[in-house]
Amino acid sequence: MSAATDRTQATPSGTPLLEVTDLAVEFRTPDGVVRAVDGLSYRVEAGRTLAIVGESGSGKSVSSLAVMGLLPDTARVTRGSVRLGGTDLLTLSRKEHRARCGDQVAMVFQDALAALNPVHTVGYQLTEALRARRGLSRGDARKRAVELLDLVKVPNAKARVKEYPHQFSGGMRQRVMIATALAMDPDVLIADEPTTALDVTVQAQVLRLLAEIQAERHMGLVLITHDLGVVAGVADDVTVMYAGRAVEQAPVVPVYTTPAHPYTRALLRSIPSAAGTGRLPVIPGRPPSPAAMPAGCPFHPRCDAVRDVCRTDVPPRATPAPGRMSACHFASDIMAGREPAPEAGVTASASGGSVPEPKGDPDD
Amino acid sequence: MGRYVLRRVAQAVGMLFLVMFVLHLLTTLAIQLNGNPALAFFGDKIPSPAQVAAVEQRFGLDDPCYDQPGNPCLGPFVERLGQYAQGDLGTNLRGREVTDIVASAAPNTLRLFVMVTITWLVLGMVLGSVAARWRGSPSDHGIRLTSVLIDALPVFVLLLVYKEVVTVPLSGWAKETFGEDSWPPYWFKPSFDPEHPWATVAVPGILLGLAGSAAFIRLVRASQLDSYGGDHVRTARSKGLNEGRVVVHHVVRNSSIPVVTAVGLTFAEALSGAVITEGIMNIYGMGGVLWDAVQSSDVGLVLGIVTILTAVTVLVMIVVDIAYAALDPRIRYE
Repeated sequence: MSAATDRTQATPSGTPLLEVTDLAVEFRTPDGVVRAVDGLSYRVEAGRTLAIVGESGSGKSVSSLAVMGLLPDTARVTRGSVRLGGTDLLTLSRKEHRARCGDQVAMVFQDALAALNPVHTVGYQLTEALRARRGLSRGDARKRAVELLDLVKVPNAKARVKEYPHQFSGGMRQRVMIATALAMDPDVLIADEPTTALDVTVQAQVLRLLAEIQAERHMGLVLITHDLGVVAGVADDVTVMYAGRAVEQAPVVPVYTTPAHPYTRALLRSIPSAAGTGRLPVIPGRPPSPAAMPAGCPFHPRCDAVRDVCRTDVPPRATPAPGRMSACHFASDIMAGREPAPEAGVTASASGGSVPEPKGDPDD
Repeated sequence: MGRYVLRRVAQAVGMLFLVMFVLHLLTTLAIQLNGNPALAFFGDKIPSPAQVAAVEQRFGLDDPCYDQPGNPCLGPFVERLGQYAQGDLGTNLRGREVTDIVASAAPNTLRLFVMVTITWLVLGMVLGSVAARWRGSPSDHGIRLTSVLIDALPVFVLLLVYKEVVTVPLSGWAKETFGEDSWPPYWFKPSFDPEHPWATVAVPGILLGLAGSAAFIRLVRASQLDSYGGDHVRTARSKGLNEGRVVVHHVVRNSSIPVVTAVGLTFAEALSGAVITEGIMNIYGMGGVLWDAVQSSDVGLVLGIVTILTAVTVLVMIVVDIAYAALDPRIRYE
């Protein structure tokens, strides 16, 4: 597959199309202010696919809404920058922000049935932006709509542009959603769980289509998913998010072979495989509520390699190997497949200070 | 779309027939239990049996079934349907054609309804949209408070205050300012003027519409808020469309579906408001005519008018259904 060749050839060089730095997003809730995203950074380069992986509530969708300027009124960006072609989008007015994104960054939403307007034809929605913002005539718009549907391999495109979203099957609807995103010829495509609502065979088709289009147009693709199994086939780089933070960032192959964060390791273990027998390992516990974040490492209550330092100190962004990031006190140990020694906390955390006590109850 | 419309029309014809039949059963039962309405023709005088028989024959009340309580009187019903089919709705007790009465009274009621509907739509759409778009702002709170105030003010109070307190000084002022023969004095005339039907119906219609607009404002606000939170609106924004376009094509357009339905449903309700308004403002219209007919036991006129009102209501329902389908493709292809 083309994406695979890209992965070996492309080098992380040149200026990124989209660069998110130290992004933090807060929500106002009746219970006070909660931080949904905290210090997220990533870069998207032409022709490369970045997968952002995490459970629901990990901040992966919220961060992309922040990039697009689509946060709800109760949320606001408190820190960081989103640079698109040399401009920090977060310094623009909301109107300019959305206009810039409409031209260069497009988003594919999760539930295409809800994300497409039920009362307008597919053709109208495909070319709405082209007509409103680039002044395309009605006839040209119709032609372009048919081309776009052809591009995403919807059969009988000429007739189907006149139909409404509810007349499409789930997979076809998601293709329409992708075509809508491609209409303005964006440089970056953000796909937020594009296959969640689909059954497995259709999922594979839609992912393959996304990968093909991405390679063909040399776009940057951000693929947001909760499914590490989906990532392996299409992504070049992976960012694993937990509780609003990036816990591991690395090229895709090392993430699978030598994960450097216990959360990534646990996620990988819980991917079901056809050959698997016995019980599927799960990660015990639940992600923390953003309103009640545990002290220290946010993952420590669920971590199988937890040490005392994890309960008190927020782990620094360690670099266990070139081009890799892991927010774990014991990143090198986890990457090497070693259980961190009780005393290793002092050297690996680089935080100095107290001597950690022997390992406590692992179920803690 | 064509099949959908056809099916709706067929349903409407069936409904019309059903309503007419129920109406017939009710009036028949009323005659059977309550006595001969032909007597009402004579007022205080005591007629001879021959006179009564002549009147009964003239108004189609001579069928013996009217003396048998419980008899559905299908014979006269079929006969009346035949007459209706020929456009003959009978006469009132004074021998005037029902169609003629309706033809002179209906246009004024229709004018009133036009004003009412325009007021609903304008107030509802404008205030509801503003409240939804700037949710939680002072204007939102103000609009919601206003809608509660409107609800608390019954239409007859509104009209009486207008008529007794406002009209005279206002029309006097208008005469002085714009001259005797200009339009403005008629707008504020305290009673209906058949020479200037539109001008003298306008303000009462607006007031009646205002009294019913509170529910509309809240409905528009609620359905637009629903759309604002919708995923498809987020998609539209992600395309970089300006907010005005998003509001018009993705919020107002989508939330117009429940609003249109409500216009149709409240239309039938507005008739009771019309009776009050026509009474207070002396407008010669369907409400007043129906009220008088009921008062004077004029069976033929009541039946004729109610049948026509049913037909109009059914027609409005069809129009609403078609508008609904035009607005929402999911209905069209059900």
